[in-house]
Amino acid sequence: MAKLKRVSAGSRVFDFFNYFLLALIAIITILPFIHVVGSSFATSAEIARTKFLLFPTEFSLNAYEYIFSTDTIFRALGISIIITVGGTLWSMLFSTLTAYGLSRKDLVGRRAINFMIVFTLLFNGGMIPTFLVVQQTGLLNSLWALIVPVTINAFNMIILRSFFMNIPESLEESAKIDGANDFSILFRIVLPISLPAIATISLFYAVTYWNTYMHAILYLSDADKWPVQVLLRQIVVLASGMNYDSAAFTDTPPPETTIKMATIVVATVPVLLVYPFLQKYFAKGAVLGSVKG
Amino acid sequence: MSNSNWRKLLGIMMLMFLLFVAACSDNSSETGGTDSSGEEGESSGEESGGDEPYAFSIMANLHTPEVPQDKVLNKIEEATNTDLEIQWVPDNNYEDRLNTAFATNSLPEAVFLKNQTTFVQFRDAIEDEQFWEIGPYLDEFENLSKLKENVLDNTMVNGKLYTLYQGRPLSRQGIIYRKDWAENLGLEAPKTTEEFMEMARAFTEDDPDGNGENDTFGVTDRSDLVYGAFKTVSSWFGTPNSWGEKDGQLLPEFMFDEYVQTMDFFKEMHGNGFINQDFPVTSKTDQQEFIKNGTAGIYVGSMGDVLSLKDDAIAINPDATFDVHNYVEGPDGEFGIWSIPGYGNLVMFPKSSVETEEDLKKILGFFDKMMSPEVANYAYWGMEGEHYELVDGAAKVTDDSALFDREVKPFQALEIGEPETNSRYLGYFEYEPKAKSEELFIDNENYLIEDPTVPLYSETFSQDGARLQQIITDATYQYILGQIDKAGFEAAVEDWKSQGGDAIIEEYNSSK
Amino acid sequence: METSTISAREEAKQLKKARRSETWRRIKKNKLIYLMILPGLIYFLIYKYLPMYGLIISFQDYKPYKGIMGSEWVGFEHFQRLFTSDEFWMIFKNTLMLFGLQVFVFFPIPIILSLMLNEVRHSFFKRSVQTLVYIPHFMSWVVIVSISYVMLTLDGGIVNAIIESLGMQPINFLLNEEWFRPMYILQVIWREAGWGTIIFLAAITAVDPSLYEAARMDGANRFRQMWHITLPAIRSVIIVLLILKIGDVLELGFEHVYLLLNSSNRSVAEIFDTYVYVAGLQQGQFSYSTAVGFFKGIVGLIMVIFANWLAKKFNEEGIY
Repeated sequence: MAKLKRVSAGSRVFDFFNYFLLALIAIITILPFIHVVGSSFATSAEIARTKFLLFPTEFSLNAYEYIFSTDTIFRALGISIIITVGGTLWSMLFSTLTAYGLSRKDLVGRRAINFMIVFTLLFNGGMIPTFLVVQQTGLLNSLWALIVPVTINAFNMIILRSFFMNIPESLEESAKIDGANDFSILFRIVLPISLPAIATISLFYAVTYWNTYMHAILYLSDADKWPVQVLLRQIVVLASGMNYDSAAFTDTPPPETTIKMATIVVATVPVLLVYPFLQKYFAKGAVLGSVKG
Repeated sequence: MSNSNWRKLLGIMMLMFLLFVAACSDNSSETGGTDSSGEEGESSGEESGGDEPYAFSIMANLHTPEVPQDKVLNKIEEATNTDLEIQWVPDNNYEDRLNTAFATNSLPEAVFLKNQTTFVQFRDAIEDEQFWEIGPYLDEFENLSKLKENVLDNTMVNGKLYTLYQGRPLSRQGIIYRKDWAENLGLEAPKTTEEFMEMARAFTEDDPDGNGENDTFGVTDRSDLVYGAFKTVSSWFGTPNSWGEKDGQLLPEFMFDEYVQTMDFFKEMHGNGFINQDFPVTSKTDQQEFIKNGTAGIYVGSMGDVLSLKDDAIAINPDATFDVHNYVEGPDGEFGIWSIPGYGNLVMFPKSSVETEEDLKKILGFFDKMMSPEVANYAYWGMEGEHYELVDGAAKVTDDSALFDREVKPFQALEIGEPETNSRYLGYFEYEPKAKSEELFIDNENYLIEDPTVPLYSETFSQDGARLQQIITDATYQYILGQIDKAGFEAAVEDWKSQGGDAIIEEYNSSK
Repeated sequence: METSTISAREEAKQLKKARRSETWRRIKKNKLIYLMILPGLIYFLIYKYLPMYGLIISFQDYKPYKGIMGSEWVGFEHFQRLFTSDEFWMIFKNTLMLFGLQVFVFFPIPIILSLMLNEVRHSFFKRSVQTLVYIPHFMSWVVIVSISYVMLTLDGGIVNAIIESLGMQPINFLLNEEWFRPMYILQVIWREAGWGTIIFLAAITAVDPSLYEAARMDGANRFRQMWHITLPAIRSVIIVLLILKIGDVLELGFEHVYLLLNSSNRSVAEIFDTYVYVAGLQQGQFSYSTAVGFFKGIVGLIMVIFANWLAKKFNEEGIY
């Protein structure tokens, strides 16, 4: 402790700038989001009057009342939650197994398999052949169609694998001497010390599933099964007046900005909550502490 | 984390996984549920008189945020004795879904095409007889046979009819302007392009809102040369609609002097600050915002927009008043206005899903009933008393317009024909400028400039037209912004010609 | 002489045999591992490799109603059309410029940011900043671009209002070639930098805290600790991410660029994705857009192979 105090002169300057910069960055990144949240609680008149609204002077819940007046948004949120939770667990199961298997340096054919997986990041057959495979495997119009075709994201799997490869081999060796098989090594030793990696990749999957949009439109003809992103996207695109083509053919005025902003809030906040929840797995030292303990 | 904690976490995850699997299989039983509701539909059909309702699917574009509830659909089904499944597809991704379904042979029985562009895209497939030719059957149906000849002509492929159309007013283009500003400055609605320029100038420089500050400008426009202001103004100058005839040859609009005059007109407005400086990147929403918050005073586009503009504008400034206007003469002393081909959407019938002539006739029968006043009103206005009420024989949407937007509006995508042919009610509007805009749509029909290439076909245009058009669009904006001069614009036109434009000119002229 | 060659050959044969049985032994030893990766492999085969036959259409004049079997073969016509089109080199250059910005400007930022966060000792402050900077990732490009418009426009945007109040000439940010690239990369940084830190922060947790203590004992200052302890610990993750990024050389976010693209900046902003969107998707030219996708994949593949080879040269694991 005494030693720490002595070096702290330069350290304190460092800390000051570090804290200051980080706070500044946080403010800059969050302002537009405050704009979105603020606008969702504003009146249309105020939005039109103020250019970059942050805090509404007249507080209005109209937009939220509009959104929540039918059960559409609840159903869509429910579906998003089902595919996010279920899809993440499903994907993590297969990604972990594959990533761990391929992290073993003594595996014959490992390089070829890895290359084959990298290859899928660069080439894809396109929308129509993929649709046919989804159709042939009987997934059309079921929520599985949003999950099974994206079971493993090669990018996520490769990251996870590289985390696993950083684990000292000695840990696995000693377990092997104790007679543990590969599955129990994975579940008893590797996973518990890889929680930060597991949390990170789970978060990546969760966010991907939450943002599922195109697949829902292509594979689910029953609109009752659409996740919340379809609704969000539709409102944002309509409200931004981007589809001028058909807008010119209909007399429909675009949805109000407040409704657009409120939908963004409703469709985004649930997934924003995932990260703070996972943060405890990022605590420094958790890893080796658990190994020692 | 200790080992027991880890086990707990693992246990929770397993449990969640099981729940998820259960939820998903639940879902599949829900699918079974929809089937049984289908049966319900059948039994209610039996009640209504023995004849079983005919079941089929329609794919249509959704131009509202949410998929509608079934209330109106049930009414339509009941009135037409059908069991409909409507596959709604968000407007923005309609092409993706349409192309995928088409390529994988999974199109439903009736398919809406969304717009002209997709129709051109499907031309190949139509020529290959992938869709039913319906021309010969129309006479068998009382209402379908009323569809307008000239619009049908616009939708023919090699002289054969494959589609039913959804009618649209031929031209809704005109001006919406701040009437109170004009009165403050003693201006009348502009009757010539010069007066229009004067109004734009006065709204910019003469402090029309009388607040003593230089905080206004004339025209608000957006990044759209067609449905924004440009094409409408070009009509005033007498520019042809996309293509026009010069010395007996069809040539694109931008090879006409009037087009260049229009660009000069915009360049003058832009250079003087009479129009929003960033209009080539302004979205429709932002464009309208300038009118609503009292920054700009002139809006050139669909005159029907006046109602929603007014509603939001008076929330900010209760004194704001608006008016609409259509007639603006060009330098040659004549007024003209470009027109669309008379349809907004088209529906066609794939042979892959409509297997027999008998089925086709049943589906055409459905659309025939869609054109009866009763059903057309359901689809367009909803239920009387609930969604609209009748005032002077016209439909007035009830105060709960959110309810109307949710339960009725999406079904407007299913309309066939137009009020003249399907006899649905016209809209009743209390707000006078809105009512006037409806009259001006009709007045516009006396001055239409039509696109002569609508019934024609050019292979090169359908393959490369959009990319080529981009060359011209870019050059037009750059000319207006002063980033290129006349020579630069002409170079772009040459570029257009050499990259395929010459072929388009040649193909259109030979298919005349 | 002869006998010795024979015995050498024999020896080689023996060695080969031994190696083969050694390989076989290793395979058998790892049979459970193969069982683990089997489901993943099946997934990749069915949902990734099976649809790849669709790439065939880049050599055809594909018509949806004729199918792949019935469509006409055109050889390399679409590739030829791409390579000989007037815009090809402009697009190629634009794409490489944006890629350069992604790798040299954007890529280091999340690393620096996570090093900074790692130095924060107050866990509440750290968690709050982490959570706030990751939020922009959830805003769609449509929303981000429209917010940028509102701030940067000449027609009453805040930024130009400030510039004018300082007595300077307003800047035309939107209809301008020069501002496109800065705007693009700033928006990317704004949206993705915080999100990018997550992976590095996870990697940093693997650092043994006792190493820092030891370094402090030796009098290492904070920068030296970062350089000698934190960075090496996340090096392998950095390299993996960098290789993956390099593979995305021609994949720069279609939606984002498309929304920023306008008539005045096309000469610097048009990239392969936006080009093919107009030429291909809007007009149903499946073959052409597939051919462009194929081309992008091949370029990406070459880059990945090169980057991976380079990584191996430096004794890194690489990605395959």
